[in-house]
Amino acid sequence: MQTDKVTPFQFLVLVIFFTVGSSILYIPSTLTIAVKQDAWIAALIGNLLGLVVIWFFTTISLWFPKLTYIEINEKIFGKFLGKSISILFVLMTLLYASALIAQSSIFLITQMYPETPITFINLLLVIIVVMAVRLGIQTIARSAEIFIFIFFFLFIVLAVSISPQIDVTNLEPFFQTKLSSILSSSFKLTAVSTVNSIALFMIFPAFVNEIKKCRKNFYLGSLIGGAVIVSITMLCIFVLGSNTTARQVYPSYTLAKVINVGDFITRIEALMATLWTLALFFKVTLYFYAGVFGLSKILNIKEYRVLTFPVAAIVLFLSIIIFPNILYQTIFDEKNAIVITTIVGLFCPLLATIVFLLRKKKFKKDPDYANSN
Amino acid sequence: MDRVIVRFIAIIFVSLLLAGCWDKRELNELAIATAISIDKKDDEYHVAAQVVIPTELSTKGGTGSSPVTLYEANGKSVNEAIRKLTLVAPRMIYLGHLRIVVISEELAKEGIDGTVDFLSRGWELRSDFYLIVSKETDAREILNIQTTLEKVPANDLFNILHTSEANYSSTIAVNFFEMKTNLEREGKQGVLTGVQILGDSSKGSSKQNVESIVPEAFIKFEELAVFKEDKLVGWLNDNESRGYNGITNQVKSTVGIVSCPEGGNGNVSIHIKKYKSEMKSKKTNSNNPEIDLKVNIVANLGEVSCDIDLTKQETVKMLEKEFEKAVKTDLQETIKVVQEKYHTDIFGFGATINKENPEKWKKIKGNWDEIFSEMPVNIDVDAQISHFGSVLNPVGRSTSE
Repeated sequence: MQTDKVTPFQFLVLVIFFTVGSSILYIPSTLTIAVKQDAWIAALIGNLLGLVVIWFFTTISLWFPKLTYIEINEKIFGKFLGKSISILFVLMTLLYASALIAQSSIFLITQMYPETPITFINLLLVIIVVMAVRLGIQTIARSAEIFIFIFFFLFIVLAVSISPQIDVTNLEPFFQTKLSSILSSSFKLTAVSTVNSIALFMIFPAFVNEIKKCRKNFYLGSLIGGAVIVSITMLCIFVLGSNTTARQVYPSYTLAKVINVGDFITRIEALMATLWTLALFFKVTLYFYAGVFGLSKILNIKEYRVLTFPVAAIVLFLSIIIFPNILYQTIFDEKNAIVITTIVGLFCPLLATIVFLLRKKKFKKDPDYANSN
Repeated sequence: MDRVIVRFIAIIFVSLLLAGCWDKRELNELAIATAISIDKKDDEYHVAAQVVIPTELSTKGGTGSSPVTLYEANGKSVNEAIRKLTLVAPRMIYLGHLRIVVISEELAKEGIDGTVDFLSRGWELRSDFYLIVSKETDAREILNIQTTLEKVPANDLFNILHTSEANYSSTIAVNFFEMKTNLEREGKQGVLTGVQILGDSSKGSSKQNVESIVPEAFIKFEELAVFKEDKLVGWLNDNESRGYNGITNQVKSTVGIVSCPEGGNGNVSIHIKKYKSEMKSKKTNSNNPEIDLKVNIVANLGEVSCDIDLTKQETVKMLEKEFEKAVKTDLQETIKVVQEKYHTDIFGFGATINKENPEKWKKIKGNWDEIFSEMPVNIDVDAQISHFGSVLNPVGRSTSE
């Protein structure tokens, strides 16, 4: 049984990595396609919207501070319905883990390893993810704690070395798109970066120290991660212009490609790719951890580690076949994933809230109920 | 003990995965192309790749033969032609170190969309190489000239482009990325620098070309190719090219000539040290847009062959006025030529209007080319001569006066 707990700082780092995730690669082009040079506004709104979502999530989870999301579901909905919703949740996290692995391998194949079979790239990533998850959340959190410094170091290097090429006027004219399309783009970002962080409720609040501080760090992490996304979107528009950004499949990689400091520091994009590899790895790991750990709770298996290999095999297989080409990925990200996220990440918790409020009296006597909140 | 063995085997297995990259390419399997040229004749693309021969460039000398070689192939697309280069080259052409892409005038007139797409789709190519257009000659001929100071002709081209852009400002080093942005952006068309062969191009290929003090054939960058969307529509001459750079604020340093203020033979050369031009769309009530161009110049004196008294403040003021006038005329001429001859907004006036007044831009962008051709541009030049050099009065002027 898992007994390790995560410190507030480690939790903060995990939230940052989760928020940045794959968004750092795709969001600039996804947003600029929809709202052109106003993309950064959309990113900003999406980020702020995320705070509301986190407030909502943490409120639910703090009703039962000792339970994970799966157990809360069971408590509120009863055994059958609760388990059904939890299965939905687990399926979503595992599906997203596969999708993210597939995304990263499509990126690597397009930009670096054109002839390497997708199977091997995915296999390598899955092996590391399984290893991390088997070592437990403490190990994941501690490694994240180390990697966050590398992440921000590289991010600052990227921002500083691209700054000579910034053309501020590329942001003009402001507010050229309709507010409705800005908002709908914002929601997409919120869905990807924040609503999906429902996966983190397998860790929070049951496996963290100092719950109150962690809740604060949840907001903070989401803000910092959001700031990274907003600034990378701005940099893309500053340097590439909105039309070029929209046309790129991987705008932030293109951004790293045009770095040229005095004809001396050039062609450092491969180094910069470490940025999204790191963020992607932690997001996949957290999804996979949530999926496997959640499954063990549903099946009442004491030791979640026995599930890692069989589930990893399914995730690996799915990640290989999920996107035959990049268009599938785009459609999945733009449509399917948004629907799934909305159902599992917003609709189910909302339902839980309604049921909880109706049955509140009964829960007051429950030993797991938090009186302090 | 068993665990140790299992771990040991596992570590060896994993290190097998780490050691090699699946897509490894050994250096001795690659032909590193520093420049490629793209021609188009009768629906067939002709691609030539200038490949460096490493042994000839090594410090130990080599055999004295040419430091580069040219592989050529035809194909229905650029991509096919590059693959077909393997029919003549013993190694796969590697484009990762590309510095220059020469496009022939004919291909540029037909449109470079396809070429640009190929160059941006591949994973191997970066976007920091320069695009140039060969004027009045096939693009492959440009790569077929031996050069003196730089052994690799592609580097020669690359460096000429750099130095002339920085010191004379009639050329402009447009890298691939900028050209692509221009093709994708509203209200700004692209330009590329032209390149020509001077002398006897048939003798340029042989190494003998660089054995005499004056080469038989050499390369000169001249004139800017004006694009309308992806098609070349014409050329700007030397003066207009500098005017173009002046309007778009791309002058780093150059030299300007003012004829003597009080008549007489001779002139004054002025080194431009600092140059800044700023474009603004003028707020007008009517639908017809106007552009205000403000130019600030700080300059030094370079050469004076007039009989003028430079110890007096008025003379300097007068020189400044004359210089301002000269610059203004140059800029006006450039705009006039582009407006009347080419009808394509290479200056980015449209983009400026879009940024400052998006509502108006939406109304006029439909027939922007006509509006652009008629649009008035108000130019305001402010020049300041700051340094005179190590002599004050012109050397020719007698000091006793």
